[in-house]
Amino acid sequence: MPDQLKSIGFALAMCFVCGVLLTTAATALQEIQQKNMLNDRRKNILRSVDLISREKAYTPDEIARIYRENISKMAVSADGTIVSPDLAGPDKNLLPLYLFTENQNIQSYIIPIESQGLWGKIYAYMALENDGSTIAGFTVYKHSETPGLGGEIDTQWFQEKFEGKKIIDQTGNFVAVAIAKGEAEKKVPDQKLPHYVDGISGATLTGKYLTQGLQKTLSEYEPVSVAFRKNRLRCRMQEEQPWCETDETDQN
Amino acid sequence: MKLTKTKSFKAFAGPAWTENPINMQMLGICSALAVTVQLKTAFVMALAMTFVVSFSNLIVSVMRNIIPSNIRLIVELAVIASLVILTDEILRAYMYDVSKLLSVFVGLIITNCIILGRAEGFALSNPPHLAFIDGLGNGVGYGSVLVSVAFFRELFGSGDIFGYSVVPETFYNAGYEDMGIMLLAPAAFIIIGLMAWLQKYLTTRDEE
Repeated sequence: MPDQLKSIGFALAMCFVCGVLLTTAATALQEIQQKNMLNDRRKNILRSVDLISREKAYTPDEIARIYRENISKMAVSADGTIVSPDLAGPDKNLLPLYLFTENQNIQSYIIPIESQGLWGKIYAYMALENDGSTIAGFTVYKHSETPGLGGEIDTQWFQEKFEGKKIIDQTGNFVAVAIAKGEAEKKVPDQKLPHYVDGISGATLTGKYLTQGLQKTLSEYEPVSVAFRKNRLRCRMQEEQPWCETDETDQN
Repeated sequence: MKLTKTKSFKAFAGPAWTENPINMQMLGICSALAVTVQLKTAFVMALAMTFVVSFSNLIVSVMRNIIPSNIRLIVELAVIASLVILTDEILRAYMYDVSKLLSVFVGLIITNCIILGRAEGFALSNPPHLAFIDGLGNGVGYGSVLVSVAFFRELFGSGDIFGYSVVPETFYNAGYEDMGIMLLAPAAFIIIGLMAWLQKYLTTRDEE
């Protein structure tokens, strides 16, 4: 009996020491880690619109500068109106949206993606060109898929396949973009090719979940894509509080 | 007494060379396949592993007389797991890009059989300073294999060393191509196999 008590006591003491040690380490390093994560997210936003290259290394300051000069964080309401997040007030079902502007013109808009994956959530950014239908870039910045299989979604070769794909078909209906099971050219009919990218072998389920996630998120942002497609957006980006309004008169 | 005859030297040189965990004991192969595509990740992994194995050996050895033997495996694992999580947190704070590349493999150091093997087989029955040196030796033995495998894989697979390209452009113009297989896991198997063969040959020749 005393032996067992000693074991239990030892185990409890062990738990306490390890717990205190790890909590201290995690709390002390949290601030730096969060800074790293923010920097990484910005890097991925910039990458999705080709503002920085994958091969070069950038310091956090450079990333912050390029980000500040080109990207503005906005919010979108359910009907597709873009407002500045500061003006909008709290909540009201606003979706976050990033705009890449050059000389006060919107070049592309970047949608944050949060999709289910096989083992955990997949976090990504998808940039769409200002025509409201062409994908400009796609980057995954956080996931817990199997390395070597589903984990390949964070590689350049997979993400590059998204560039130039269309989220609407020829008649203008929303179809989103999907990941084929295998090589897209062999698996899907020619007329659907603009909406499919090659899948990763050994990662069928990751592809399936990511397809569902893209479908869901892109349909949530469909109102703002429609506004871009019809070229109805009038934005004032140069002002202190940038804002956009939707022109109601039909341009066509 | 000559340096090579001391206990400490033996505790270091044994695992680092004659009983090398990867080449001679075939332990820890999993991570050796996964993180050796680039020298940078292999190097950080080797450092992380050396840190964990030497300190887990040290801590287990310090506590070896008070650990109740019926729960000793759990205690050893708790020590190892805490050190691994600590390493992971530090990497995420100071080497974020590398830690993203290493992904789950830092966490998987916990399951690396070298560490528990040394804690159970050496640290429990030896004084702290020897246990620590044994841990260092194992880390160096493991790390040196990792780094040499990564050297060949990065050189032949992407023409780089530590991310700097070393294969001159004229080679590529003359028709040289990077070997794609070097970037895949089978290449690590082949290189480790060749290295194990070379080391076995060298050690048996010495004995004769």
